[in-house]
Amino acid sequence: MGAVTGAPPLAAEDDLRRDRSGHLRGRTVLDRCIGWLLPLLFLVAIAPILDLVYWVASRALPTFTLSIITTNPSGAAGGLLSPIVGSLEILLLATLVAIALGFFGGLATAEYLDEETAGAIRVTANVMVGIPSIILGLFGFIVFVKYFGWGASLAAAGVTLGIFMTPYVYRATDLAYLSVPPHIREAAVGSGATPLQYLFRVATPIAFPSVLTGIFLAMAIGVGETAPILLATTPVAIPPLSLFQPASALPLYIWSGFENGLILPVAIHRAFQAAFLLLVIVVGLNVLVRIIAARSRRRLEGLFQ
Amino acid sequence: MTAESGAMTTPVVAVDGVSVRTRDRTILDKISLDFSARSLTAVVGPSGCGKTTFIRTLNRMAELTPGLRIQGRVLYLGQDVYDPTVNPVVVRRRMGMVFQRPTVFPASVFENAAFGLRLVRASEEEIDAAVTEALQRAGLWDEVHSHLDGPALALSGGQQQRLCIARALAVRPKVLLLDEPTSALDPAATQRVEATLQHLKEEIVVILVTHNVGQAARVSDRVAFLHSGHLVEVGATADMLERPREKLTEQFITGRFE
Ligand SMILES: Nc1ncnc2c1ncn2[C@@H]1O[C@H](COP(=O)(O)OP(=O)(O)OP(=O)(O)O)[C@@H](O)[C@H]1O
Ligand SMILES: [Mg+2]
Repeated sequence: MGAVTGAPPLAAEDDLRRDRSGHLRGRTVLDRCIGWLLPLLFLVAIAPILDLVYWVASRALPTFTLSIITTNPSGAAGGLLSPIVGSLEILLLATLVAIALGFFGGLATAEYLDEETAGAIRVTANVMVGIPSIILGLFGFIVFVKYFGWGASLAAAGVTLGIFMTPYVYRATDLAYLSVPPHIREAAVGSGATPLQYLFRVATPIAFPSVLTGIFLAMAIGVGETAPILLATTPVAIPPLSLFQPASALPLYIWSGFENGLILPVAIHRAFQAAFLLLVIVVGLNVLVRIIAARSRRRLEGLFQ
Repeated sequence: MTAESGAMTTPVVAVDGVSVRTRDRTILDKISLDFSARSLTAVVGPSGCGKTTFIRTLNRMAELTPGLRIQGRVLYLGQDVYDPTVNPVVVRRRMGMVFQRPTVFPASVFENAAFGLRLVRASEEEIDAAVTEALQRAGLWDEVHSHLDGPALALSGGQQQRLCIARALAVRPKVLLLDEPTSALDPAATQRVEATLQHLKEEIVVILVTHNVGQAARVSDRVAFLHSGHLVEVGATADMLERPREKLTEQFITGRFE
């Protein structure tokens, strides 16, 4: 069997190596290479990021001591306590604002509003993502700092950053509730669930992991943002004691640290240490997102087929 | 309509001149049909004839589809389910529904079966007892009793469909509506569901939509034949399948259709 030599030549339509018009159609070079080309491209893409992390860490870690995160800044040096606490406080307030506006907005467009209204809100949210964040900062300055008279404060920075984060939470929520399979809704309603029972007992357990993912992603984006809070608060040496006192923040500290660094080298080190901490927070939030996504994927496996 | 046994007793469900229309066409045209206790009626007909729409008018699921206008009366134990004082949610709790595809929730087997009872805040003891009973009636108990806390989505398609039947049965409805419940199942799973249905018709009203004449022959005691929105003929299964009175029915049964 299988003596190829001497076998009659195959007609083009029977030849596995030719297409219908008789052209040779083996695996192309691209077909062969794609398996290692894509990982290579990926490496090229993340190389600058790895380099950046290394670059920051190598400048931040050699002079890193615990006292840096337990003491407040003094002059151009000292510790980083007030920017760390300030960043977390601003982020907390901003997250609450973004959940209040984004989560309930997303719920409304996905579940309750008519198509036209929902469509208009979706477009608005997409436009909001595209607005340069410094313009949002200006808006926060005019409305909260000046018009509401909050002054440069934790409240003004938190609310402005919250508005910045809102469309991210909104889009995650809207999509999460929209992607609950229609047959699941039918089954719930067909079992006699009221609209609220459907929402709490069926839709939310399915949608919530995606919503949570959206919230943490919005936090990861928001915590590193400088422009929205630049005009709404000011770097200070101590954490605020009320909503209406200014709160420092890591991005602001980095920014002013490099300015001061022109005069005082130790300020540069602190700025790198602040940058390193910020990276840790952002990476931590992203890892959290991965964990939630993986766990919910396991729980909801087989639902969206 | 033929003189059927039990025509004297009051029907559990009485459909009285029900029509369903969209803006430009009639999907169901003045359907009248009674369902008496302990019976299994198969609703058959070619694709698109209105079978799904018909059973969805019974438990007021049809009105959730925008653009459908529903007229006529559906009486459940003598009460019009479309009466303005009636809450559709309560209607749906009294008439269980099972869909074409299994529709289990991403929760445990137990919680899926308990879903309807949780909606009405039944006590834990009541739920425990009702879930066990429902899983037994649905013919699923032997397969799942050892892992009631396991995820329902891990069950096979046939098991999931019987879990959906159990979910509907757990609230002890007097009426069970099924829309082609076996069309996504393999022959073995289909057989198990059919066995379950044969059991159930001794206890409650079962209304089974099927496109499969063989299935109607195996499990039903009465067949209703729908054709483009009209109820063409209804009668005892054996009569209908062997001596249909209408030409359309005969064509459908002998397979010169679809
Ligand atoms: N929301 C709707 N708007 C307009 N027409 C509809 C709507 N729902 C159903 N129809 C039409 O009503 C007719 C009956 O549909 P239905 O789903 O009840 O048929 P069926 O007998 O269940 O068909 P199948 O065997 O394919 O499931 C179809 O012609 C369908 O196109
Ligand atoms: Mg149908």
